[in-house]
Amino acid sequence: MDIDDILAEVDAQSIPQETKDLQELTRAWIAERVAPELLKWPSALMDRVLERIRQQIESVEEQTGNLDPKANFTLIIIQTELERFKFLIRSFLRARLSKIDAHAAHYAARATSTPSLLSSSETQYLRSHTALLSAHYAASFLGTFPASLRGLEDSTGGVRMVDGPDEDGAVFVRALRDVGSVGVEGTERRFEVRRGDVWVVRWSAVRGWVEMGDMEVI
Amino acid sequence: MYGEVANKLVQHAKRTQSLAHLPPYQTEMVRAITREVRDLDKDVATILEPFAGSFDPSTEPATACALLVNHLCMRRNKRCLLAYHRVRSDKLEEMCWNGIDVLERQQQPQSKAGEGGGLGADGNSSSLSPEEEEYVRQYSDLLAAYKGQWTDIDLTGSLEPPKDLFIDVRVLKDAGEIQTEYGAITLTKNSQFYVRQGDVERLIAQGYLQRLS
Repeated sequence: MDIDDILAEVDAQSIPQETKDLQELTRAWIAERVAPELLKWPSALMDRVLERIRQQIESVEEQTGNLDPKANFTLIIIQTELERFKFLIRSFLRARLSKIDAHAAHYAARATSTPSLLSSSETQYLRSHTALLSAHYAASFLGTFPASLRGLEDSTGGVRMVDGPDEDGAVFVRALRDVGSVGVEGTERRFEVRRGDVWVVRWSAVRGWVEMGDMEVI
Repeated sequence: MYGEVANKLVQHAKRTQSLAHLPPYQTEMVRAITREVRDLDKDVATILEPFAGSFDPSTEPATACALLVNHLCMRRNKRCLLAYHRVRSDKLEEMCWNGIDVLERQQQPQSKAGEGGGLGADGNSSSLSPEEEEYVRQYSDLLAAYKGQWTDIDLTGSLEPPKDLFIDVRVLKDAGEIQTEYGAITLTKNSQFYVRQGDVERLIAQGYLQRLS
């Protein structure tokens, strides 16, 4: 343990939970928008943030009748903050949904092996949406096809019909801790990553560290 | 035969991607392609008939080749159809998210024709197939159900980061009276207001209000 780690620990303790949540939410939002594949659903964080939003909305409603200019001003600040939080969450959820929609079959298969990937409402959405789509295809044309061709997953000819996200897409990452040596699969390249470094790498090479919180995508 | 119509359909889908509105559903082409698939399937069955299940590709390379081409064409046609329908349903979903009432536009295409991103701009009575209409209806329900779980956050709201709590808006069409925390406002045409963004977001999306910067 060197001096940086000790400092980081002291810092982390003095920051209130609310600020940390905002930082975490912002980080999750950026990561979700940048990473080529769907990330894990941060259920604890979302529960905390949503609870706080609910409280704030309540307090805003309580104070609305207050005509005191000072209270009015704080109210405006709270409301602005609320709108920003809402935007973060909205954008975060929409980013997730668009990924789920783009590779529905892929994530449906993955969600069964890693249940923490999707929230329960997302799982529900994914299921009903896939059901809807296949019903739509069946009604539009697949129903009149020969029986052997009606499936939506068909790997004859060597090409799978279920498409996954491009896990080798490049992302910008910043190291939050000293990570050590990182290697890119399929190439000879290895490099040292220290705290504060910024790299452009394939997502598949750094995914593990981003999920653990040792790196952040930017 | 052999994927020609499917190719046209895919080109159509490609064009659809860059259009603001949804062009009419190509019922004829879709039908022609499914017919082609069925014919090809029948061909395969006829070719295989004399062999009675004991077909050996190495002894009959010519027949094997014909079979392969038929099979590939069927699969290709299927992919083209899937792609076409996916492009269209994606577009329909996008409209659902943007709060455009697709079905209403379908019933009265003339009245709202030509408005940003809308349907029926070419005056066509219906550019959706009955299956698509059903799909839109069910997808809207699904969307409403998903949104219902996030009551505090309006999911279909603006995806631009909010800068100001209050904004200037001009009223383009009479929208009647709305309730805000600061009392009721009557929105009459051509008037201008300084209001909370969250209160009027829906109205801006529906084209009743215009945001002034």
